[in-house]
This record gives sequence, structure tokens and C-alpha cells, in this order.
Amino acid sequence: MTSASATKTDLKVEYINPVITATKTVFETMLDCKVERTDLILKENSALSYEVSGVIGISGKISGTIVLSLSHRTALEVLYRLVGTKTSVIDDEVCDAVGELTNMIAGQAKAQLERYELSVSIPTIVTGRNHLIQYASNVKPMCILFDSGIGPFAIEVGFASPN
Amino acid sequence: MRIMIVDDSGTMRTIQRRCLEKLGVTSIVEAPNGQVALDLFDQTTIDLVLTDWNMPIMDGLTLLKEIRSRNKEVPIIMLTTLACKTNVVSALAAGVSDYLIKPFTPELLQEKLDKWISTRV
Repeated sequence: MTSASATKTDLKVEYINPVITATKTVFETMLDCKVERTDLILKENSALSYEVSGVIGISGKISGTIVLSLSHRTALEVLYRLVGTKTSVIDDEVCDAVGELTNMIAGQAKAQLERYELSVSIPTIVTGRNHLIQYASNVKPMCILFDSGIGPFAIEVGFASPN
Repeated sequence: MRIMIVDDSGTMRTIQRRCLEKLGVTSIVEAPNGQVALDLFDQTTIDLVLTDWNMPIMDGLTLLKEIRSRNKEVPIIMLTTLACKTNVVSALAAGVSDYLIKPFTPELLQEKLDKWISTRV
């Protein structure tokens, strides 16, 4: 391994671990839900496995995107656990709940990456089967798969390394 | 006792409203951004403000500064995902009364609210 590639790998771990920790904290605190990481893969294409995604842009000394992607069932359960509302469709309330959860994960991760002086955007929600999240051409996002008491979900983290 | 919840997320406003209702607060007004909150503050008596930081149109820090320019006494609790020291220091310098970082348990929010509500009764 060259020193350049070692540095890139170290950076990925440095960015991804805070996001994993933040995800566990947010799910356990807000949803009373234990989560377990099941896999970590390098995304080779932009298609997500799940139906509802909260997308947040990060900028500062590094820049990138954090995506929380939930199955239909998991997204409905998020709303139910947060406010007790039951629904069978992905409506505005479900999207708002997913957005807020994404916001909390990004905020927690940002605090652990304070030295990069990051700013976090307001979340955007994308819905629909096989929807695409496009990353910048120099970004190869990592996808972290989780299982939880409310079903499976994924976090994607794509950061551009500093020049 | 009238409490104002300021958050652009309806989900978060619902969670906060339920915590307040559990504490016996029945007079609650809600605003989706700082500008609407400031207009409400100017038009009615508000005894405690619970505000998010990141919001469209007017953010929570600007709202905090605007309210403090009018009223030095009303408790203002910042409830936000922004957990960096620089954010906390900025809010304290602007006169925030308390600072609670999301995610939070309902118990912790109720504890904070109970503390500040008791100072206003």
C-alpha cells in the first residue's frame, strides 16, 4: 500500500466511524432502538436499496454527503416511534421525521469532526423505489448496512478528501 | 404560562409539545422559523422560548439575539443538533438560558423544561 492510499483509507475511517457512532446514538436515544452494523461496502453505483432517503450536505475543510436510507416499513416505524402516528404511506410527516433523524445523525457526527469546521445543510428527502443519489465524480461513497429492531437501513457517507 | 416552540420540523414540535403537556402546560404556541417566532413574541406575552438553531428564513441564534434586544429575562432554551463548542459559546454569548443537544430523551427535555418553568411560576 502506498502512503497516498494509506492516507485515503485512514481518512475514510476517520469520517465513517463518527457517523456510525452517531447513528447508533440517535437510534437508541430517539427511537429506543438498538442497531447492529451488518456490513460495510464501497458503493460502485448510485442506486440505493431502500425507498426513503434523508440527504444532508456537509461543507468545510472537507465536504461531502451523508445519506440515511430506510425501507418503507422502517420509515413508517420511525414516525410511529417519534410521535406515535401510524400511517401506511410515505407522507409529509414521515419525510419530516426521516429528515430530522438524518439531521441529528449529521449533527452528532459533525461534533466529532469539529476540527474540520463543518457546516450542515438542511436535509432533503428523496423517495421512491430505486431512486439515485449522485455524488461528485471524485467521491466513492461507503455504504454501511445496519439491522435494527425496526428493520434494516443503510447510511452512505461520501467525502472528498482534502487536497 | 405561555410557551413558544420554534422548530422547522413538525415532528420535533410535536415531541416538544407532548413533553410540555405532560408537565401541565396548556398554552403553547408554535412557529416554524425565527421570523414567525419573533412576530409572535412581539404580539403576545411569551414566558419561555424553546428554539431550534438551524431553520430557514431566520435561524435560532438570530432569534435569540433579537429577543434579547427586547427582553433580557425570558428563559430561552436552545434545542439543536449543533453540538460543537463554538456553537455553545456563541449561544451563551448571545444570552441563551440553557442548551440541549439533539438527540435527547423525553425525560431530559422534561427535566430542563421543569427547571425553567418553575422559575416563571
